Amino acid sequence: MLTAENLIKTFPGVRALDGATLRLAPGTVHALLGENGAGKSTLVKVLTGVYRPDGGRIEWDGAELHLAGPLDAQRAGIGVVHQERNLIPAFSVAENISLHHLPHHGGLLDRARLRAEARRCLDLLHVDLDPDTRVADLSVAQGQLVEIAKALSLDSKVLLLDEPTASLTGDEAERLYAIVRRLRDAGQAVVLVSHKLEEVFAVADTVTVLRDGHSVAEARPLAEFTHSQIVDLMVGRAYASVALTERTVDATATPALRLDAISTALGHRDVSLSVRPGEILGLYGLIGAGRSELAKALLGLERITAGTLEVHGEPARIRNVGEALRRYRIGYVTENRKEEGLFLEQPVARNIAVTVWRRLARAGLVSDRAERAVVQTYVERLGIRLASSRQLAGQLSGGNQQKVSLAKWLAAECDILILDEPTVGIDVRTKAAFHELIAALASDGLALLLISSDLPEMVALADRVAVMSELRVVGELANDHDYPRMSQAIIRLIHLAEETESAA
Amino acid sequence: MSNDTARRDVDAAPPTPAPAARKPARAPLWANPRVGLVVLLIALVTLFSILRPAFLNTQLTLVPIQSDISVYLVVGLAQLMVLSLGHMNMAVGRMAATSAFAMGLAYDRLHTPLIVSLLLGLAVGALLGALAGLIISRTGVNSFVVTLALDFALVGLVTILYTQFTDGVAFADLPPGMDALRFDTFADYCMGNLCGPEIPLVVPFALVAALAVGCLFRYSRLGREILMTGSNVRAAELSGIPTRDRIVQAHALSGLVAGLAGFLLAANNGAFSASLGDQFLLPSFLAPVLGGTLLAGGAVSVLGTVLGATLTQVIYKGLNLLQFPLDQLQLYIGLVLLAALSLDRARHVIAERRGVRA
Amino acid sequence: MTAVLTPTPAPSAGRRLTRTPEFTLAVIAAAGFVALAIATGGNLLSAGTLGAFFRFLAVPIVIGLSQMVVLAVGQMNLSVGALTGFCAMASAWLMLEAGWPAPLAVLAALLLGLVVGLVNGALVVLTRINGFIVTLATMTIIQGLRYGVNGPDTFQGYSAGLRAFGRASVLGLPVVFLAALAVAVLVGLFFARTVPGRKLLASGGSPFAARLSGISNDRSLIVAHGLSGLLAGVAAVLTVAASGSVNASIGDDLLLPSFAAPIIGGVALVGGAVSVTGTCLAAFLVRLVDVMQAQFGINPRWIDLIIGAVVLGAVLLGTVRQKLLRRGSP
Repeated sequence: MLTAENLIKTFPGVRALDGATLRLAPGTVHALLGENGAGKSTLVKVLTGVYRPDGGRIEWDGAELHLAGPLDAQRAGIGVVHQERNLIPAFSVAENISLHHLPHHGGLLDRARLRAEARRCLDLLHVDLDPDTRVADLSVAQGQLVEIAKALSLDSKVLLLDEPTASLTGDEAERLYAIVRRLRDAGQAVVLVSHKLEEVFAVADTVTVLRDGHSVAEARPLAEFTHSQIVDLMVGRAYASVALTERTVDATATPALRLDAISTALGHRDVSLSVRPGEILGLYGLIGAGRSELAKALLGLERITAGTLEVHGEPARIRNVGEALRRYRIGYVTENRKEEGLFLEQPVARNIAVTVWRRLARAGLVSDRAERAVVQTYVERLGIRLASSRQLAGQLSGGNQQKVSLAKWLAAECDILILDEPTVGIDVRTKAAFHELIAALASDGLALLLISSDLPEMVALADRVAVMSELRVVGELANDHDYPRMSQAIIRLIHLAEETESAA
Repeated sequence: MSNDTARRDVDAAPPTPAPAARKPARAPLWANPRVGLVVLLIALVTLFSILRPAFLNTQLTLVPIQSDISVYLVVGLAQLMVLSLGHMNMAVGRMAATSAFAMGLAYDRLHTPLIVSLLLGLAVGALLGALAGLIISRTGVNSFVVTLALDFALVGLVTILYTQFTDGVAFADLPPGMDALRFDTFADYCMGNLCGPEIPLVVPFALVAALAVGCLFRYSRLGREILMTGSNVRAAELSGIPTRDRIVQAHALSGLVAGLAGFLLAANNGAFSASLGDQFLLPSFLAPVLGGTLLAGGAVSVLGTVLGATLTQVIYKGLNLLQFPLDQLQLYIGLVLLAALSLDRARHVIAERRGVRA
Repeated sequence: MTAVLTPTPAPSAGRRLTRTPEFTLAVIAAAGFVALAIATGGNLLSAGTLGAFFRFLAVPIVIGLSQMVVLAVGQMNLSVGALTGFCAMASAWLMLEAGWPAPLAVLAALLLGLVVGLVNGALVVLTRINGFIVTLATMTIIQGLRYGVNGPDTFQGYSAGLRAFGRASVLGLPVVFLAALAVAVLVGLFFARTVPGRKLLASGGSPFAARLSGISNDRSLIVAHGLSGLLAGVAAVLTVAASGSVNASIGDDLLLPSFAAPIIGGVALVGGAVSVTGTCLAAFLVRLVDVMQAQFGINPRWIDLIIGAVVLGAVLLGTVRQKLLRRGSP
């Protein structure tokens, strides 16, 4: 049906797709797997016409397909449901479904036909939703279903679902799987892009695995593989704990950061954690667990309603990020580097020096030379690759951007660092370099709080792992760096928490 | 970092030419926006001088035009202060008028010397700006709306104040020194046989203001943090910049500089009147925008603002000498703005196509 | 197996109505009107006063709608006032100097407004410059053109028929006011029921999603500006009819009210939403305040102050409501 062969796509500094092949057959659910940075989302964007490939070809039933833009892909019958909603919130479900071809009588909206079309598509999915409901009043899961209905209205034969259950609860995900199976039975080709192995094994028939931009397994029946074989394919090496610098943590030292029964205005209750200097405390959890929000509360961005916070043994009240940085030397590398961590339109030098201007300033003025010296130190130390010193942060590759985002906190000489999903969207090789870096920071004496959804990363780096679920800490484990055992234990803690939640 | 799978060194420049990976070619001269302005300026001056030689006459043209440029440069700087944040100040004119009122009142009632009156007026301007900044930063309401509402409110306030405290619309008495500012140039002050150049006394005020604003954004920590706040307010907050304070400060400075503009215009006109600043709105945007400052925030150009203000006044003066009716001048200024922006856009597009960083 | 999905239980239609900003405005407007009627000892309700009240409400309503239309796509039109004046002058000139009959001159005014609006939109799209700057520039150009029609002189004594139309009343309500209401209804229908109107709102609300559905955001922008210009032309016609004389200062005091009405009426600056009812009610409120000022001899400047404060308050309220809504949603 749809074949994408040997696709190549390059961006400045990185080869996102390097011979990626995908073959789809009607009536199948096809999983597209790969680690962060393997090229999954680039492949989706190429197939949906957002990017044009630099090499390779796309064919539909043998005929070559040239996709000049998203509309071409739609017309070709390729539908997509992205991770973020692309609906008009003020409009009704029916209007959103038929937005591309609103039925009308000489300019006036034909409400009856609008509703009928919405009913038709929703019925195909066996979803009972009032077509006149405003999309703004729907939940995330419902919005997703509307987008699938919209793809059907566009007569899609191929449906790409990009991380569809990322923001769904267990029940909502189950409902989605049922719909996926129904679509498959109706003859659609559904591509499920996911990194959740349990999900993939539950729903998919065939699988393609991407690694470093090329396909290491193409359209193979899923039944041929076990979990660990798939992981091996994704990661590219028999999973062994990566040899990182040996570190010892002084168990008697005063914790650099201690949370004691902290509750926040957002709903966190009774959160207790502590991180010692030189230690890496991992904070694991699924989406909605509230980890980033906890970090932001520590920085004074959300209200702490109960409990105590201690920094190096002294009680602390942090009112804003500036105070966290300058008085307590706490830094926060945000999860969302493009929106919250970097100034994309500013030169790299400014991005790095922004936290140290206060220190460098003499009588309120900052000398360029002093700034350059500091920036140069950290550019070299982190190995940031720049084409010129005045390059804008927005022009760097993902890995380099993340290094810049980190550099500004190192420049500020923080001794407590909160890292929020530090290697998301970074190619695998740079990721390994980052892990080395993080371990090195810890052995230099920094106290690190590592928030990550990447289990292998967590198990490789953390000395202890705290697990959060639904705004509470549900358990803490000492890490023996043994992946199978640790990952089991962590997942078990989460499931246990979910059971107690639903039972309560 | 050892691994046995063949990998490409993804961080090195890939073999396939990717333009941004190479060191970008030095931007050619024509791509520099400021150069375009200078060229246009020279061309227009030449044109006007040929058509009307009176254009180069010192007393008739060159001296007054310097006074005008000074006023409108400072007006442009007032707007520039908030453009750095990606905000707008729709009340520059009224802030100038209110400041000028305070200056006039100070002399009228307290007989304060010129400098003190000036400082008082600047303080009033700064307070008004700070008020706007406070409302904007605390409520998150768009700066356009806040300053528009403030403008509306100040229109009323200024008229009321003038009718209450003067016998009409202007103060009768002016502080000593205002006359000199209005009529004198440095040529009127001589040490022995050496006299100063034919530069009006108001010019140094504008130059100092331009230098100060320039230094603020180029070298000072405050200026840099303001620019970062304009570039990405969320990232600025998360980097430890006190964004609320910076917003208030930028707006306060805008009000202060607007006050200075009001003072300079009052000096040029010879009176503190209620209608001061009525014509400030368009020029306040013209100068910075022509000079290359973006409305989006994060980057400013003081030099560009200077050139922009100069260009607009040259056009006004030239068309005036060519006897275009005064009200028609607005029309041509509007056309010039559109033309200049379109050309700039074209330049940008061409530069991008050639892979050059404009 | 049918998946039954119920969204968050919708409150009853009645409850939903009372929560809208328009309802609050209506209550305030009604209360204010009653208060004023009582304060004037019933004078407000006399034929002459009431007629004057509504006659001078017509143009603010239409001007507010003119700005609302571009706010819907997240744009601003700074030239609405100047354009109204220009169309008014052009229309008067056609009647007095070119001897055109009133209906043709009216049509010409509308056409001129439409064309200038489309040019505004085209400029914004072609130059990709912020609409604020573009309309700031066109505003000054139009101001120059407006002055060029008749210099400092006033046009008067044109078409008796048109002026009679401007003074006429039906059932105590001035015809010009009814015309403005009719225009408001049409604009409301445009956004609620027609395909181009829906596309416009889609472009304003979520340009990326709109593009993915094949809607041309550029076209929406041009249509919005064109419509804004057309409405400015309508305002011009109403001015020519109701005022009896026009000069080059027409429209200068319309810019701020053109923003005040939609903003107080609850229209957001970011685009994607319109409220015809809100805009009309807000214009009504502003008119109420004007009349109060005349009635009680309050210095008009205080009114300006109050209006400035009210606009601020309205946006504040809007922002607070949005924040509350976001906290409450799942």
